[in-house]
Amino acid sequence: MHTGGHILSEFDSALKAFKEKTINIGCLAQQNLEGSLQGLFDRNTELCNKVIADDEDVDQLEISIDDDGFIIMSKYRPFASDLRVVVASMKITNVIERISDHAVSIAKRSRKLIRSPELPEVSLIEPIFKHANSMLTDALTAYSDGNQDLALSVISADVELNKLHKKATKQLTKCLEGEAAAHKSYLHLVFISRWLERVGDLAVNIAEDVVYMETATDIRHGGELPE
Amino acid sequence: MVASPTSQDSSTDPALINIDDLGFSYNQGKTETIQGVSLHCPEKQVTAFIGPSGCGKSTLLRCINRMNDLVETSKITRGSINIMGQDINAPDVDAIELRKQVGMVFQKYNPFPKSIYENVAYGLRIQGIKNKSTLDEAVERALKGAALWDEVKDRLKDSALGLSGGQQQRLCIARTTAVSPKVILMDEPCSALDPIATAKVEELISELRRDFTIVIVTHSMQQASRISDNTAFFYLGELVEYGDTNKIFSNPSVKQTEDYISGRFG
Repeated sequence: MHTGGHILSEFDSALKAFKEKTINIGCLAQQNLEGSLQGLFDRNTELCNKVIADDEDVDQLEISIDDDGFIIMSKYRPFASDLRVVVASMKITNVIERISDHAVSIAKRSRKLIRSPELPEVSLIEPIFKHANSMLTDALTAYSDGNQDLALSVISADVELNKLHKKATKQLTKCLEGEAAAHKSYLHLVFISRWLERVGDLAVNIAEDVVYMETATDIRHGGELPE
Repeated sequence: MVASPTSQDSSTDPALINIDDLGFSYNQGKTETIQGVSLHCPEKQVTAFIGPSGCGKSTLLRCINRMNDLVETSKITRGSINIMGQDINAPDVDAIELRKQVGMVFQKYNPFPKSIYENVAYGLRIQGIKNKSTLDEAVERALKGAALWDEVKDRLKDSALGLSGGQQQRLCIARTTAVSPKVILMDEPCSALDPIATAKVEELISELRRDFTIVIVTHSMQQASRISDNTAFFYLGELVEYGDTNKIFSNPSVKQTEDYISGRFG
């Protein structure tokens, strides 16, 4: 018995291409997220507009990945770890698409912020973004490398992100109690902080799917960690 | 060398068939086709045997009703098979009597060149049942149980050979169940059938598990995953892994099983 490739080499190629496409959509969504925040920090409307336009590519790729997944399942009837790769990838793709939607929301708020006078409180967003983006990088790398330990570290990292979001919201709420002219801008920042916190949650979802893909253990909603 | 089986008890339900360290040879013990296999098949459940050609799954199936006795040089080299607590290879066990309790359905449907009615009644007649109404009732019950009654009730006297392939296979199943065995062995029962006939036989197997303990050999992973409660994977005469079917097909414990079911095996 050999334990190399599939008896149908075509299946191996299809599965490899499918995974690569999933990695690709992850990279595009992350680029959008980074672009939306870079647009905010650099007060660059062009960058924000690009993020909003590029989301269309993510949407189309999501549909294409779902199609490929269905074709692989109906054509090759995968079992065990192969089946988990297909199912997990389709779920992860859906989560990634939502991350890109959050990037679009951030880009739209950033455009509004850019039109108003610059606020020093924008700097409150930077550590939240860095942490959320790092969680997303790790979740996507864990998927790409099939790294269960890295996936589990993403789940642990969410606690810190929640703290950062809470801290920023607290400060921004204080600001809202003061100067009325910048109220709208502070609200935009509260929303951006909230969406970044959601990106962290979605990175956790990706990580949970990676753990399932690698170990067949469903750790969602308090499920036990794999041995 | 294959790994040790991870489980011999697939479920906590009481086992009807207990195979313990079974060795079997086709050449008087010079080489073993089955090497120390132990597994327990729970009552009124479907157990699937899977594995590549030559792994010993059909040989093991035929050991369960001593069909291998027909091969002159065959020999049980070690271990035992107990059905309902009785060692089936004990000297006082009559193979013909055993086969009344352990029926078999083959890969190629093989109805007798008789009428539909006579095919089903055949086993009962051999048992000495002559009463017409008893036979009528038994034939109707068996044909209904095989989901064939509605299709043949108006032509019971027609030749069985005029039925379609799928109908002939279901007739063979009815012939087997008519004598009320405890166990039904099926050796690739759908391999000669089209998808619709296969689906009907699979549905039938799901129904039959209410009354019978079924052991099925199949080359179709999808079929094993659909119809069985427990699955045993064999390789080179050894049991590699035995367990709950959902577990075997979603997350097998042994890499060789994963390689086989996912097509990484050649």
